[in-house]
Amino acid sequence: MSQLVLNSNLIKSNSARRSNILSAIITKELREMYRDRRLVALSLFIVILSLAAILFGFTENSRLARERVAAAKADQLLWTGQGAKNPHAAAHFGQYAFKPVSPLSFIDPGVNPYVGTSVWLEAHKQNETQFRSARDKGLAGRLGGLSAAYILQTIAPLLILLVSFMSFTGERENGTLRQLLSLGVKPAELLIGKALSFNILILVLIFPLVAFSAIAIASFNNTINFSLSDQLVRLIIMALGYCLYLTGFAFLGLGFSAISKNSRAALISLLAFWLINSFLAPRLITDIARSYAPTPTALEFRSAIAQDKAKTFGHDETHPAFVLFRNEILKKYNVARIEDLPVNFRGLQLHRDDEAGYQIFDKHFSALQESFNRQDWLRTAPGFLFPILAITPFSMAFAGTDSLAQYDFTLTAEAHRRNIQNEVSDNIINFAHNDSYVSGPELWKRIASFSYRSPSIYFALDHSLEAIFMLLSWVAVTIIFALLSVRNLRPI
Amino acid sequence: MLEAIRLTKRYEGAPTPALDDLNLSVAAGDVFCLLGPNGAGKTTTVNLFLNFIQPTEGEALVGGINSLRDPIASRAKLAYIPETVMLYGALSGLENLQYFTKVSGNDASSSDLLSFLALAGLPLEAATRPVRDYSKGMRQKVGVAIALARRAQALLLDEPTSGLDPLAANEFAGLIEKLRCDGMAVLMVTHDLFLAKQCATKIGIMSAGKLARVFGANEVDHLSLERAYLNLFTGQEVT
Repeated sequence: MSQLVLNSNLIKSNSARRSNILSAIITKELREMYRDRRLVALSLFIVILSLAAILFGFTENSRLARERVAAAKADQLLWTGQGAKNPHAAAHFGQYAFKPVSPLSFIDPGVNPYVGTSVWLEAHKQNETQFRSARDKGLAGRLGGLSAAYILQTIAPLLILLVSFMSFTGERENGTLRQLLSLGVKPAELLIGKALSFNILILVLIFPLVAFSAIAIASFNNTINFSLSDQLVRLIIMALGYCLYLTGFAFLGLGFSAISKNSRAALISLLAFWLINSFLAPRLITDIARSYAPTPTALEFRSAIAQDKAKTFGHDETHPAFVLFRNEILKKYNVARIEDLPVNFRGLQLHRDDEAGYQIFDKHFSALQESFNRQDWLRTAPGFLFPILAITPFSMAFAGTDSLAQYDFTLTAEAHRRNIQNEVSDNIINFAHNDSYVSGPELWKRIASFSYRSPSIYFALDHSLEAIFMLLSWVAVTIIFALLSVRNLRPI
Repeated sequence: MLEAIRLTKRYEGAPTPALDDLNLSVAAGDVFCLLGPNGAGKTTTVNLFLNFIQPTEGEALVGGINSLRDPIASRAKLAYIPETVMLYGALSGLENLQYFTKVSGNDASSSDLLSFLALAGLPLEAATRPVRDYSKGMRQKVGVAIALARRAQALLLDEPTSGLDPLAANEFAGLIEKLRCDGMAVLMVTHDLFLAKQCATKIGIMSAGKLARVFGANEVDHLSLERAYLNLFTGQEVT
């Protein structure tokens, strides 16, 4: 017997001992997970569901992208083919600016279904985006489709909680905790080993989605509006964010399991948290954010712009502002009559009116976006406690489907509209000698067609700092909670 | 190796202490059997050595280490076999042994672990089967293999043969004897007078939280031990 006893070696180095213990715990936990057929089936179900959501999202995105490219081409043909007419009439004829489909929107469609896909660019008006796909869907579609982001944000945490809720209560109820603690195993080592094994499960869940998504992005083949490398880096950062999000749930499950008297109590507590996080907190916090940073209704918003616009003269030559402007121009060119001006007065008038309009639109649209930003900030702030409030803006930002990405598109579209206005007004100022002046296809072709380059990843990073901080805080809070919970872990 | 010094445990609200001023010592190569009825304080003693509960007064020392002050270090010297060794049902006996050996800070090759299982009396073909199919006796053997593989210096046994058939109980007693010869200090809690007489070097009888009597195993025959036990148990003189 003595001979045999000597064949097991006591590991003397602390670090070697710790890594040996952790690898033993991880191996054992993974073995148990792998042999639990229900868990394997549930994990496979989640992976297949996510892959299906990605596939459907990708197919839909490809269709939408093709449609928008075709529509943009058709619109450009209409613009260049409008024949001879007064340039200002052409500005009223207008153009559409179509928002390119973000490649990563097949993972997280974000606000896209609710904010519209294109902007009508016309003279005198900064229009809102239109054609919201959610309007064309049934009630279920309006409540949110089954995207990979939804599965990872809502269903995957449930799996992690279902796997982890018995981690310590189960060991206590089965008597193995007594056996383990009698061996001198430190509760913190048990905690870390179990948490690492859950992290491997998280990677197993997320890796196929990342690989599948990377292939989808590469085959999306839209290098005009998006950079492939930028999209791949965004995908990796999104995956890291989801790993953090789910890691927090693993520690939460472990912590609750350590402090609960039995598995049933742990499960009820964790399910209650899951329900609050998934369904109650987003609605409640959104309402609170709206009441602290209210935004006007669409009617109020348009009325406020209309009120400010009424102070400008537009086409109204009886408006007091018009009289002031006319006198200013006559004085500037030192002439007594409009007919004596060396340039076209109508062009100057349009140009001045446009400039006045730009200021009004900038004031109202930026104030509206400021309110949205304040709401977003308030909504993300409790993300360290209810992490769905942090992962949602984080995920949308890196998918390029958040309200800021939409705002960036509308700003680019508006800049294009202003470019059209300035070009046609300048054309009138410099070349028109009477009101019957017309311009032709040469001018329409000279005005560049609308193009949009999606902002780089730095834009998403810059606008996600709060969400990233809250996600890290969520993991830190759950780790601290779990460590405190196992500190007095008792086998009885 | 195992020493209880004025060890006392009072539970809140209980009229009498669960363990009252216990003094005992188990040296390397000794097997100390604690006999006594339910509620006599036997399992409380084991739990105090393991620091699963904390003493109200006194000290439980393992190799000179106070189990309250440094439970991790004191547990590192201990092996513990409860009434039923609880294992992970989805894992095999070998995988369970591998796991418990590694988490206790030891390492051994698979062939050595199989040897420990064989030494503990587990048939080789059972070693790779999931333990959910094991009998209680087979689980106890895995428990002994764990104690062997992790080179424990002291062994705490809490009713280890309860529910085992006589043949398995006898096999178990043989294992205890081998461990004793190897220099292990063994503290065994049992109701089984036969097992105590068969294995012990010292026998203590507990009653109402106190260690009422201690015998050297050679000082007492089976009949006298049974009489002393019943006398304490019933509170009447049994002849």
